[in-house]
Amino acid sequence: MTPDNVGYLAWMGMKLMALVGLGIYIVFAFVIVRQEQLMSKVLEAQSEKILSVLSWIHLGVSVVVFFLALLIL
Amino acid sequence: MPVLFEAPPTKKQSSKKGKPPVKIVSTVKLNTTPLTAYLMHPNDIRFETQDPDEEVILFMRQHIIVLIPKLIIGIIVFFAPLILFPILIRFLQSPVEIPGGYVIVGTVFWYLATFGFFLSMFMQWYFNIFIVTNHRIIDIDFLFFLYKKFGEAKIEKIQDISFRTGGITATVFNYGDVIIQTAGELPNLIFEKVPRPSEVVHILSDLTEDHKETGDV
Repeated sequence: MTPDNVGYLAWMGMKLMALVGLGIYIVFAFVIVRQEQLMSKVLEAQSEKILSVLSWIHLGVSVVVFFLALLIL
Repeated sequence: MPVLFEAPPTKKQSSKKGKPPVKIVSTVKLNTTPLTAYLMHPNDIRFETQDPDEEVILFMRQHIIVLIPKLIIGIIVFFAPLILFPILIRFLQSPVEIPGGYVIVGTVFWYLATFGFFLSMFMQWYFNIFIVTNHRIIDIDFLFFLYKKFGEAKIEKIQDISFRTGGITATVFNYGDVIIQTAGELPNLIFEKVPRPSEVVHILSDLTEDHKETGDV
């Protein structure tokens, strides 16, 4: 096994770990969205729309970062 | 015709211990904003178990000042890649060069996680609410994701109301804990770090007194 192969495998391992980490983060972002939806039923206020939009943006960006990592790493 | 006799104010109108009476019945209704921590007669607030004839008298969250330490941590975390990371890279001098893709994804993820931290902290504050209605008092705690606590006590079950405040920030910004002791097996409710605790106690006292006199507000 050449040093180039070892380096390649090491970076592939890093990429895999990064993707797993980003995948877990997507789950966390989804939990935030879900929690916001559940709590909105408990408390109905006009200002909640902002929080809802922010939580969806957060989930969307985390999915984008996951695919960005999949493509460029 | 000159006024020869003016009737003294009635017991209801007169102030209690020199303080003006709290106006519980009001026609002025205001909308909440995302940063509202104290509002009487909110116009746009409804909660899950609200009865049709139930009116929200007071809506509270913890004082906005409790978010400041988290905001400071967030600002430090936000600026860390700009200041801390170049210094660390220069001192560590790793023989392995980090590919550009990792730098890009790492930086984007760092700011995303910082935003997520802010969002989750804010949601924890936002959904930690205290509501006083003409029938009951409600304490909704959003402790952490997927865990919420709903506590309530009927106005007639309230036995004792007190508040405690202490510390420099609590004194300067006028916030504290309101402790509501209830009758029987019901657990006591604590409104933690709410703005204007003395005013809250005053409102609750008036509500309980009115409830005892009339049976309802």
